[in-house]
Amino acid sequence: MVASLVALRRPDYGYALLQRLTDHGFPVDANTLYPLLRRLEDQGLLTSEWNTEESRPRKFYRTSDEGESMLGRLLDDLAAVQTSITGLIQGVDR
Amino acid sequence: MNTLTDRYLAATLRSVPTQRRDEIATELRASIQDMIDDRTGGGQDDATAERDVLTELGNPDLLAARYADRRLQLIGPTYYLVWLRLLKLLLSFIPALVGTIVAVVEAAGGKGFGAVGTGLVTALEVAVQIAFWLTLVFALIERSQPTMDLPDWTVDQLPDVPAHRDISLADTIASVAMLVLTIGYLPFQHYRSWVDDAAGDNLPILDPALWSFWLPLLIAVLLASVVFEIVKYRIGRWNWTLFGVKAVLSLAFAVPVVWLLLTDRLLNPALGERLSWLAEGDNRNTLGAAIAVGVAAVLVWDLVDTALKTRRQTA
Repeated sequence: MVASLVALRRPDYGYALLQRLTDHGFPVDANTLYPLLRRLEDQGLLTSEWNTEESRPRKFYRTSDEGESMLGRLLDDLAAVQTSITGLIQGVDR
Repeated sequence: MNTLTDRYLAATLRSVPTQRRDEIATELRASIQDMIDDRTGGGQDDATAERDVLTELGNPDLLAARYADRRLQLIGPTYYLVWLRLLKLLLSFIPALVGTIVAVVEAAGGKGFGAVGTGLVTALEVAVQIAFWLTLVFALIERSQPTMDLPDWTVDQLPDVPAHRDISLADTIASVAMLVLTIGYLPFQHYRSWVDDAAGDNLPILDPALWSFWLPLLIAVLLASVVFEIVKYRIGRWNWTLFGVKAVLSLAFAVPVVWLLLTDRLLNPALGERLSWLAEGDNRNTLGAAIAVGVAAVLVWDLVDTALKTRRQTA
C-alpha cells in the first residue's frame, strides 16, 4: 500500500504499476493490487481519470493530497519501526 | 463472445456491487489484455497466455470479494472467542436439561424405557439448534458494520488450574457405562433372553428365585459402584481409602456370584431342561467352576493392579 502510494505520485494504470512495483522489488499479485487501487480510490487517497487516447481505455491513478498526507504518516511510522529495530540489533550486538 | 476472459469477467462481476460493475469490467478487461499482450510479446501463443493470466488472477469469487471488501470467513477473530465461550456455556447444560425434562415427562406418561431414547434425541436436537442459531447470529454480527461493544476480558474469567488427575474422564465414563449396562441386563434377561421354553415363552437365564434377595443385592452393589466411580473421578487420584472401598465393592459383587455359581443356584434350572448340554450335572459343574475361576482371577488381577496404582500415586 505504501509502495503504491509512493509509485503513484506519477500517474499510472494498473498493469504498468504492477510491473513498476515488481521491478523495484515489491512483487504484488494482480488479484491483490487491482482491488487495492479501487479501495484506495474509495477512501480518497487516490484520484483517477480515464485515458481513452491509447489503443484501449485505461484508468490512470494518481496519489491525491489526502493520500500524500496519509503517506507522510505511514512513512514516519515505518521510519520509527526501522529506528527501533536498528536500536534493538545494536543493543543485542553489544 | 464467449472467450475465457469473458467468462472470467462474468464470474467476477456477478457478485460485485451493480453500480460499479461496468467500470470494474472495463478496467479489469484492459488489465487482463495488458497482461496477455505482455506474455504474447514474450513469444507465447494467445490461448496459453490468456489461460496463464486468468490462472494467475485466481478464483474469481476471491477477486470479487476483494473488490467488494467482503468477509470470507463466517466468524472472524473479533467475535470467534466470544462465540466459542457462549457456545460451550449453552451446550454445557441446556441440551441435558431439556432432554432430562422430556424424558421424565415421557416416563410419567408411561412410556417406560422408550422415554430415555426420546430424551436423548431431544437433547441432540436442542444441541444442534443452539449451535445453528448462535452461529447464525454471530455471522450476522460479523457482517454488520458497527463493531459491537463486547465486554473486555478480565482476569476474573481465568479458570482454576485443573487439579492434577491420574484418573481420566474417559476411563470413568467407560466404567460407569459398563456398570449401567450390567445393571440394565439383570432385569432385561428376565424378559428377553432369546431362549424360549417349550411353550414358546421367554426363559430367564438367571434363576427367577434370586429376585427375592440376591439380584436386588447385586444391583445395589453395582449402583454403589457407579457412585464410587463418580466420587473417584472427583477426587482425581487413588488413595488407600478409595482402594479399601473398591475392594469391599468388588468382593461384595464377586463373592455372592461365585458362591451362587458353585452351589448351582445362579442359572435358571429350567434352562437345563431346554439346553440338554447343561442338563448333565458334570457339564454344569465344570461350567460353574470355570466361570467362578474366571471371576476370581479378574477380581484378584484388578485388586493387585489398583493396589499398584494406589502405591504409585500416593508415593
